[in-house]
Amino acid sequence: MSDSMISIKGIADGVFISVEGNDYNKIKQALELKINENIDFFKGSKLINIVGDELTLDIKTEIMLLLKYKYDFILKDEEIPSSKEIESQEKSQASTTTNIVEEGMTKFVHGTLRSGQEVSYNGNIVIIGDVNPGAVLRAKGNIIVLGLLRGVAHAGIGGNKNAVVAAYSLLPTQLRIDDIIVRPPEGDSYYKYPEIARIIEDKVIIEPYLPNK
Amino acid sequence: MENEKKGTAIVVTSGKGGVGKTTTSANIGTGLAMQGYSVVVLDADIGLRNLDVVMGLENRIVYDIVDVVEKNCKLKQALIKDKRHEHLYLLPAAQTKDKTAVSSAQMVELVNELKKEFDYIIIDSPAGIEQGFQYSIAGADEAIIVTTPEVSAVRDADRVIGILEANEIYQPRLIVNRIRQDMVKRGDMMNIEDILDILAVRLLGVVPDDENVVISTNKGEPVVMDEKALSGKAYRNIVRRIIGEEVELLNLEESNQGKFSKMMKLLFGR
Repeated sequence: MSDSMISIKGIADGVFISVEGNDYNKIKQALELKINENIDFFKGSKLINIVGDELTLDIKTEIMLLLKYKYDFILKDEEIPSSKEIESQEKSQASTTTNIVEEGMTKFVHGTLRSGQEVSYNGNIVIIGDVNPGAVLRAKGNIIVLGLLRGVAHAGIGGNKNAVVAAYSLLPTQLRIDDIIVRPPEGDSYYKYPEIARIIEDKVIIEPYLPNK
Repeated sequence: MENEKKGTAIVVTSGKGGVGKTTTSANIGTGLAMQGYSVVVLDADIGLRNLDVVMGLENRIVYDIVDVVEKNCKLKQALIKDKRHEHLYLLPAAQTKDKTAVSSAQMVELVNELKKEFDYIIIDSPAGIEQGFQYSIAGADEAIIVTTPEVSAVRDADRVIGILEANEIYQPRLIVNRIRQDMVKRGDMMNIEDILDILAVRLLGVVPDDENVVISTNKGEPVVMDEKALSGKAYRNIVRRIIGEEVELLNLEESNQGKFSKMMKLLFGR
């Protein structure tokens, strides 16, 4: 079953994958087998597209996420089908949950991160505790701290400008989103309300997080 | 000595140098002995030994910790009995060697040996987080973190607490040393709440900045024996908390003004 289900073609500057069938588990199994045969070659390659007669958008998205996070594939146009695309294809379905799958995998850390400790992850990071000065967080996705963030937080590593950093109390030594680095203004202020940092027009904007917004 | 005990090994550490680890070790060790416990204070700062000097026992050293682990002498030969306290002993560090002379495994063996003979083993750790620190925490059951109210010392303490947790020494207790209440009141010094806010550990005690500590250190008599000094009282309270008593935190404010101003108040009603 496996070999014939998948074909991977290298074209131009990336790879083009065509699949058969609509069983995600089978496709995944076959695909991983194929990639692992030549892992050095495929790791970090650029994905042009995935096609298949019976391929649904859900499966396509799943495969893309798998390739992106497990094998460091670079996705064309940076991203998995946007919510617009999904909406247009699934007009009938309620679109309230469409964004969830885009967020990728998440690492949860329980407890306080102290000076010298570092958490790096290929997806999002959620810290249930404080992040003390001298501790470092690195994520390809978003960073959420359910506590005080006083260390260094680097979200959106590798070009994800949509990444955000949010904390109950956002007082980082330094904040980075993708390649933009900011320092908090001088003077040690203690914010008692949650804040969220995101990139808007190439600037990191920090604003209070209001659930109703 | 008597029948086998099951002592507790407590490492006194800080990360940063110069915050008062050795003074704290000497005072806690002496204080516990004053309470009637059998105590050994172990100087783990090989190559830069100080604990013997602070305790006034320097001229009695014949063998040291490296002699013990290299089996040049018996453990009992290297233990130095304190001048003033019956059940207080010092195991001095070697001065002519360096930190590579002892391994973590040797330290664990040594501390386990001492635990059979003593109620408390107080280990004075070297500054830093290198090998000396690693072997000094290797045999410890508990840890006491010493910090001063400075951001650099607190930062290092935080790092050390993380390393201790990684080495399965949980819930260390904190001593904030050299606090100056007048400066805290003016907002020029970190207060206890600020420090606890970052470190999130249990507070064992607060020791005021007191010139009596310097005087007693130079004399080789730990300040804990000084009935009058406020810092001595602070250390006695710390010792009582270690043995499980509930003791309120010292009121540092009245002390700093001293007796003179109290008398003035009495005399002149000011």
